[in-house]
Amino acid sequence: MNMMRQVAREVFPSLAAVALALLVGAAFVWASGVSPALAFAALVQGAFGSLDSLSEVAVKTCPLLLTGLAIIAAFRAGVWNIGAEGQLLAGAAAIAFAGRYLAPELPALLALPAGLALAAASGAAWAALAALLKVQRNVNEVISTIMLNFVAAALLSYLVQGPLMEAGARYPQSDALPAHMLLPRLAPYRVHAGLGLAVLAAVALQIFLFRTRRGFELRAVGGNPAAAVLAGIDARRTVLFAFALSGALAGLAGGVEVAGVTRRIYERFSPGWGFTAIAVGLLARIHPLGALLSAAFFGALDAGSNSMQRVAGVSAVLVQVIQGCVILFLAAFETYRRRAANRA
Amino acid sequence: MSGSPAVEVRGIYKRYGPVQALSGVSLSFAWGEVHAVLGENGAGKSTLMRILAGEERADAGEIRLGGQTLHLRSPLEARALGIGMVHQHFALADRLSVRENLALVLAEPREWRFDSAQLDRRARAWAERVGLELAALDEPVGHLPVGARQRLEILKALVGARRVLILDEPTAVLTPGEAEQLFAMLRQLKAQGLLVLFITHRLPEVAVVADRVSVLRHGRVVGTFDGPFPDLTELARAMVGELPVESAPSPRSISGEPLLELHGVQAAASAAGMPLRAVSLQVRRGEIVGVAGVDGNGQRELFEVLAGLRPLQAGEIRLLGRRLAPRSPSEVLDAGVGFIPPDRQREGLVLAMSVAENVLLHRASLTRFTRHGFLEWSRIRAHAAELVERYRIRTPSLETRAAALSGGNQQRLILARELAAEPQLLVAVNPTRGLDFLATRAIAKALQEVAARGCGVLLVSTDLDEVLSCSDRITVLYRGSTSPLLARPWDLQRLSAWMAGLGFAQTGQP
Repeated sequence: MNMMRQVAREVFPSLAAVALALLVGAAFVWASGVSPALAFAALVQGAFGSLDSLSEVAVKTCPLLLTGLAIIAAFRAGVWNIGAEGQLLAGAAAIAFAGRYLAPELPALLALPAGLALAAASGAAWAALAALLKVQRNVNEVISTIMLNFVAAALLSYLVQGPLMEAGARYPQSDALPAHMLLPRLAPYRVHAGLGLAVLAAVALQIFLFRTRRGFELRAVGGNPAAAVLAGIDARRTVLFAFALSGALAGLAGGVEVAGVTRRIYERFSPGWGFTAIAVGLLARIHPLGALLSAAFFGALDAGSNSMQRVAGVSAVLVQVIQGCVILFLAAFETYRRRAANRA
Repeated sequence: MSGSPAVEVRGIYKRYGPVQALSGVSLSFAWGEVHAVLGENGAGKSTLMRILAGEERADAGEIRLGGQTLHLRSPLEARALGIGMVHQHFALADRLSVRENLALVLAEPREWRFDSAQLDRRARAWAERVGLELAALDEPVGHLPVGARQRLEILKALVGARRVLILDEPTAVLTPGEAEQLFAMLRQLKAQGLLVLFITHRLPEVAVVADRVSVLRHGRVVGTFDGPFPDLTELARAMVGELPVESAPSPRSISGEPLLELHGVQAAASAAGMPLRAVSLQVRRGEIVGVAGVDGNGQRELFEVLAGLRPLQAGEIRLLGRRLAPRSPSEVLDAGVGFIPPDRQREGLVLAMSVAENVLLHRASLTRFTRHGFLEWSRIRAHAAELVERYRIRTPSLETRAAALSGGNQQRLILARELAAEPQLLVAVNPTRGLDFLATRAIAKALQEVAARGCGVLLVSTDLDEVLSCSDRITVLYRGSTSPLLARPWDLQRLSAWMAGLGFAQTGQP
C-alpha cells in the first residue's frame, strides 16, 4: 500500500508532464490549421499501426534507452553529464575502427563482443576527460561535457573523411561492418538484438543502484556529498566511477546503433540521441526501469512523426516541441515541489 | 538618555516552527546613541533587528518610531522611514564597480541614463556627510578589502535611511584596525543624531563603542545597562545566564585512561572562519568534555580537523595513545570515532534518502550489511527498525525520506546511526541547535548514556547551558585557542570571562 503510494507519487509528475506537453503540441497543431485529432491519429498509426512500425519504434527506443541509462547513472551521482552525445559518437567511432582493423585479426565469434566492449570503453574514456577535469581542476562538468560533444563530432567527421573512410566511397563514410559483426535482426523487420541488450542494461543498472554497496555510495554522493564524505565514502572516486559508467553506457549505445542499424558511421550519424536522453532520464524520474517506458515513449514519438508529417502535413519537428515541453513541465513540477517542501 | 524614545519595541513575539525566537521583547532606544544588542547565538538578536528593519514580521507586538506605530511589511518601507540595516553577509555585486553598486541606491528611479558624473557627485556628497572616504569609484567591489566593502555597505544603508542604522555583527569580518575605523565612524554618525543599533556577542568592543547595552537571552530581555562599562563581568554574567542549577550528572566511572588527546593543535581557517592556534584538551573514557565558546571561534575548524576534513598544521592528536593525522573521514571512522556534525541537514543526512538508507550511511554499517558487494536489505531493515524503536525516532515508516522528519528525530537518527557503529569516542557539535525543549533533553540524556557505556564524548557547543549541564569537564574555545580544562563545580565567573575573551591576553591563552 505504502509502496504503491510512493510509486504513484513518483510517476504522477511524469504522466502529468507528458499530458501537458501533448496538450501544448496539440495547440501548435491547431494553430497551424490542422485538426489535432487527425495529427495524433496519424502519429499513433505511424508508431503502432503495423508490426513494421512497431519494429521501428523498437529501433528508435534502443539508443534512447542506452543513452537514457547513461544520463541516469550520472545524475544519480549528482554528475551533470550533458555529454552522452559525444560519448555515443566515441563509441560509434570505436566500433567502426574495430570493424576495419580488429575484426580481421579476431575469431568471428569474438569480433562483435570485442567491438561493443571497445565502444563502451571509448565512451568511458571520452567521459573520463570531463571527469578528470572536474575532480582534479574543479571544472564544471556541464560546460566540459557540452564542449566535448563538439570535439567528438569534429573528430568523427575527420575520421570518416580520413583514416576510416571507405575506399572509393563517394560520400564521407566508413566501411560497412563485416556481416559477422552485426547484431542479429528479427527478419524481415529492422528490430535487432541490441534492444535486448539495452533492456538487460536497464535491469542491471537498477540492481546496481539499489542493491549494491557501490550503487548506494553513488546515490549517497549524489544526494549529499558532504554527508557521504563524512560517512567515509570516497566522493572523488565515486564521481569518477559514475562518469565512466555513464560514458560506457553512452558509448555502448553508439556501438549498438552501428552494429544493429547503420552498419557504418558518417557525419551527422546521431540525430541527437544523447540530448533526447536527458528527457528520457528525467521523464523516468532517473529510475532505470522507468527509462524502459520513457525511452519507448520518445521512440514512439520519433517513429510516428514521419507518418504524421506525411498524412497530416504537420512537421515532424513537433516531436521536439513535445520533448522540450516535457522537460520544462518536469522542471516546473520539481521547483514547485521543492518550494512546497521548503515552506513545510 | 532623556527625551522621548527614538524607537520603541513592545511585547515582540516571534516563532519559527518549534523554536520561540522572541518571547515578549520590550526595549527603547534614543536618538544619538550607539546601542549594543548583546547575546549569545540564538538569543534572538538578529530576529529582533530584522523585524525592526522590516525583513521579518513579528507574530505579536508593536514597533514605534518617534512615537508613531509602524506596520512594516518590507525592508523598502523601513528604508522609506529612515531605517537601514547592514548584514553580516554583504549584499554587494562583487563584479560591479563601487559606482555601479552605489547606483543601485543613488540613481533616481525615473532616470534611464547611467550618468557617471552625476552619480559620482551624489556618491561623494553622501560619503562626505557620513565621514567616509570613497577611494576608487571604478574599482570592482570584489577587489576591495573587507573593511572597505563594509563601509560601502553602510553607505548604501545610510542613503535614504538617515535615522536608524542597524549593524549585524559588524566586526565579525574585520581586522582590529578596520574595527577601529568602524567605531570612529559610528561615533560620528551618533554625533549627527542617528540611532545606531549594533548586534554583537563580543564584550570588549561593547566597552569601546556602546553608550548603552541591552542583553538578550533565549528570546527575552535580561536587562539594559548604561555605560560606561569599566567592568564587563556583569554583562558577561547577564549574557550567559545566572548560575544554573547544577544538574548532577548520573554517576559514572571515569577511568584515568585518556581516550583523545589534543596538544597544541593548529589548523587553517575555513571560509570566514577562525584558524586554530593552540587547541589542547583531553577526553577520558566515560567522560563528557564540553568545549564552550561563542560561535565562530574555531568550532567548525576543530570539528573538521578531528573528522579528517582539514589538515593538521601543527600539534598532535592522539586517539587511544596512537598518533592520528587523518587525511580523510574514513581513517577517523575506522579508528572508532563517531560524529554528530554541526549541520545535520547539510552534513549529517542525505535528505532525499529514506530513514533506512540514512541508517546505512556509515562506513562500518555498509561493511557490516554488504555481502559480495550486495546490500542485505532485509537485515538492514531489521537493523533500522530496531534503531528506530530503541532511539524513539518518530517516523511514519522506514521508507520515509529523512527530509520529512522533525529536527529532533533527524538528530536522533544520526545519533542512532553513529552509535550503531559502536564508537569509542563521539564528537558532537551543537547537537541540540534549533531543537525544541523535549528533543534537546532527549539528546542530552542520550549523550549521558553514551558516556555511561564507557564511550568518551567531546561536546562542542555554543549553548553554554548545554555544556554546563552535560559535561564533566569544560574548556573554552576563544579565537582558536582553548583554556585550561575546568572541573565541577563550575567557576562561572571564569568561564564567562573566558568566553568573552577576557583573560585570553596577547598570548591567545588565559
